[in-house]
Amino acid sequence: MAAPADTPRRRPGTRSPIPPGLRAAVPVLLLLIFGFVAPLLTVAAFSIAEPRSYDVFTSFTLANYAQIFDPANSVWMSFAWSLALAALVVGILLVACYPVAWGLVHVFGRWAPAISAILVFPLFVSENVRLYGWVLFFIKGGVLDGVLKVFGIGPVTDLLYTPGMTLFGMSYVYFSFMLFPMVLGLAMVPRDLVDAARDLGASRLMIWREVELPLAMPGILIGMLLTFVLAAGAVAEAKILGGQSVITIAQDIETAFTYAQNWPLGAALAMVLVVIVGALALFVMGRLDLDRILGRR
Amino acid sequence: MNGMSRRTMMKLTGGAALTAPFLPGAALAARDKELNILCWEGYNSAQVLDPFRAQSGANIRAESLTNDPTMINRLRAGETSTWDLINVNNPWARKVMYPSGLIKPLPRAEFEPYFDQMLPEFKAPYKWAMSEDGTELLGMAQRFGPYSFVVNTDKISRATAEEQGWDLFNDPALEGRYGILESDDWNVFNMFMVAGINPFLDHSDAEMAKFREVAERIVKGARMIGDIAMMNQALVSGEIDLHLTGGTYSVSPARADGNLNLRAITPLKGAIDGKGGIAWIEITSTVANPDLSPLAQEFLKYVQDPEIAHTVAFAEGTFNPVTQMGNPDCFELFSKDELEAIQWESLEEDMARSAEYDIVPDYDEALDILTAAKRLRG
Amino acid sequence: MAMTQSAPEIPVLQLAGVRKTFGSFEAVAGIDMKIREGEFVTIVGPSGSGKTTLLRMLAGLESPSDGAIELRGRRINDVPSNRRPTCLVFQSLALFPHRTVGQNIEFPLKVRKVAPAERKARALELLRMVRLPEDIYGKNVMRCSGGERQRVALARAFAYDPDVLFFDEPLSALDYKLKKTLEKELKDLHRASGKTFVYITHSLEEAMVMSDRIGVMRAGKIVQIGSPSDIYAAPRTKFVAEFFGELNAIELRREGAGYVRADGAPIALPPTALESARAWALIRPELMRFAAPEGSANTVAGTVVNEYSFGSRNQFQVLSEGRTWLVEAPRGSDSPRLGDAVTLGWDAADTLVVED
Repeated sequence: MAAPADTPRRRPGTRSPIPPGLRAAVPVLLLLIFGFVAPLLTVAAFSIAEPRSYDVFTSFTLANYAQIFDPANSVWMSFAWSLALAALVVGILLVACYPVAWGLVHVFGRWAPAISAILVFPLFVSENVRLYGWVLFFIKGGVLDGVLKVFGIGPVTDLLYTPGMTLFGMSYVYFSFMLFPMVLGLAMVPRDLVDAARDLGASRLMIWREVELPLAMPGILIGMLLTFVLAAGAVAEAKILGGQSVITIAQDIETAFTYAQNWPLGAALAMVLVVIVGALALFVMGRLDLDRILGRR
Repeated sequence: MNGMSRRTMMKLTGGAALTAPFLPGAALAARDKELNILCWEGYNSAQVLDPFRAQSGANIRAESLTNDPTMINRLRAGETSTWDLINVNNPWARKVMYPSGLIKPLPRAEFEPYFDQMLPEFKAPYKWAMSEDGTELLGMAQRFGPYSFVVNTDKISRATAEEQGWDLFNDPALEGRYGILESDDWNVFNMFMVAGINPFLDHSDAEMAKFREVAERIVKGARMIGDIAMMNQALVSGEIDLHLTGGTYSVSPARADGNLNLRAITPLKGAIDGKGGIAWIEITSTVANPDLSPLAQEFLKYVQDPEIAHTVAFAEGTFNPVTQMGNPDCFELFSKDELEAIQWESLEEDMARSAEYDIVPDYDEALDILTAAKRLRG
Repeated sequence: MAMTQSAPEIPVLQLAGVRKTFGSFEAVAGIDMKIREGEFVTIVGPSGSGKTTLLRMLAGLESPSDGAIELRGRRINDVPSNRRPTCLVFQSLALFPHRTVGQNIEFPLKVRKVAPAERKARALELLRMVRLPEDIYGKNVMRCSGGERQRVALARAFAYDPDVLFFDEPLSALDYKLKKTLEKELKDLHRASGKTFVYITHSLEEAMVMSDRIGVMRAGKIVQIGSPSDIYAAPRTKFVAEFFGELNAIELRREGAGYVRADGAPIALPPTALESARAWALIRPELMRFAAPEGSANTVAGTVVNEYSFGSRNQFQVLSEGRTWLVEAPRGSDSPRLGDAVTLGWDAADTLVVED
């Protein structure tokens, strides 16, 4: 927009070389640089340091990456498990959260805030505590067995410490992270558009496919992305409910930084994960037209 | 306290405790009112620290970690100027930290008398508290315990477990009936023990191949791998009958809850010069901090007090014997139940059958094998 | 309510006792109405008068709490909106923002599984009808201007080929000039298509331009219905009259066979058939003059306190005994200045006597 003619102009001598927009963004930029870019750069720097050393910024080697991509190294299995579990969690939560989100937006009415609160509340309890709660539920002679016994069934055994239980735990923990962006997405679908589609003759299925789903897609995609990114870095579920029946990449990173004291390897593993997840996030975000989402109304 | 309520005082000290870690400059100026401890779980508990806080009026910060290498590498990474005390297992002080200049010796005349009050095997000069050449006192011993494996004696009797020892884990009938505690440094020791190899010597290729075979098989056959709480819960519920890597440190909370059928086992025989098990002794040393808090030595003396030593033994989370039980004034503070929780009645023989925690020369390679073995579970 | 029903034909829409309540709130409080085939009916009312609810019931987006809605003699209360041969143009237009102009227009055709080529041909035809260029077909609808969107919404409604089109104040967001243009185009389209249009607006001015008949709604009821000229010439109540613009209103009270001013001042009134206890004498500002009429009681003395320019004419506020009178005079005429003492007058024949 052109400045109105009567706007007082800064005299040439006093003009700052930094545009005002950039100056205003300085606090946020500093926060991003120190809070986000600097740690990431440190991790990147460690990833090219001599294996099992602390010679960050003073040594350069690609040995850590060579080790990760060495075909004899089975660490690819951890990547595969993490990414596969994350993909499955996203799939499960898409199906599980959609009806709940739809209900929160359209059906539950004045109960919706209360239901949301109930769903949010567990987030205030430590994830590990909640997962231990599920262990008590599924463990031999636990809550599930107790309940089944009342009905003369069971006991069911060997539920715990399996990849399936890991998947259950992850789906439970990340439920809200899929649900609420989805609720937001569905709430962004203007009521008029659904009414209009219906008025123009569309069936429920058609309205869902042509109007509701595409318009809620930004929220759904953000939920998928959030869930995937978090799930790809998950470790507690595989440890506590899964009993390490599968090893996730986050656990390998953890082991490298602790028992192995091989920080450069841990950093390289982390960088590979960041690149995989980052590429995926960029791909998804590229498909989101944020202007359209924000400027719709 | 005139003019200042107790609450105000607590607020002030609490606020300072929060900001202290972020103000290294300010910290340097007032080290006589500050003490930072890097330790295993227990020393960081309020029961242990609060009386010392009250007595010294200082800010005490304690961070607990669950493995030695991480703590030592924190010092290596430059945190010697942060910490005043480090509490790790026995070999690190004399073999690694002192030679690397990470810790400072203690004045022998002042501290050796404390060893005279300890259990007989800790009398001065106590090997793990001394430098390799035997001239310097590098730290104080307090908590210790045997750490091999834990069984449910309702399923496997103590006698069977002690006689069969590590071979239990070679028994195909027990596949899927055991868990593995996720302390991977100990798991490296114990996989060697199951393989019948002394972990603390240099290993031949054949021995490493044997280690790999055992590690892959034992890890694959485990019902689950997890932390101490998971192991105890699984033992109590019957999900598992025994678990590799464990001892009084891990099982004592469950025993204190009345599960006396769960028991730390020290095998009768094993590959380390005939010793069946492995035990740890914590050595607490003063860090080579250029501006070491004068409270560091005060704290080491403070925990020698019988009352405090008993508190350390029964700090939250884990219950352990302490060396100060050699002092009758300390020993009498332990109730019958407490002694049962820490398996006092067999402690002496278990320790006698145990080799002491040591450094595995080819630990890195062994850990890589173990880490890869875990991936084969999926 | 008197209905002018000259032809015996079955009305395209007939409402009988239609009511809609939301909890304890009665949005539509019993409406009887007939709409003839091909008619352009406008419902006018202030916001909250229930006109949108009425329209949504007609379109099938709400169901009546009571009463009957008949389409060509068939009761349609429970027919869902996607099965009704009616189509609503929303106030928001409700265009699908993630679709192009073409896709928006073709939506009802896609619903009916019309082949793509045929759909496109029809869409282009409709674009011509609403006077949009063909090259707008592939444009994202959110990149269109307000007027273009308006026309796209209209084309989409026509693509559905409904018997009755409903309009929910679709022009309210447009600037004055564009609104005027579109009002006329809508009227032309109505004439050309022969379809029945039911239009709601809060602007009587808008209604006057387009409608065959106007119904005025207040508090869920239709208070007057008739041709635009009927309503303009003979508003039945002060409420209806005020819809045409600002008025000088004088409260009347029944006395004997006629009315007198409620405040006791003298007034000359035209003959009236009204019999209610309370009534109002209404005089439009443009019918007031800065002169006392000869031999008439209709005069007021006061001071000019404000002057507004309305372009071709000026409006003056005259304060007299605590109340304000509005007078309008053509620009440039011999006008008083602020602070002048003036005498106002009006003819009894220019006075409307209406119910409360």
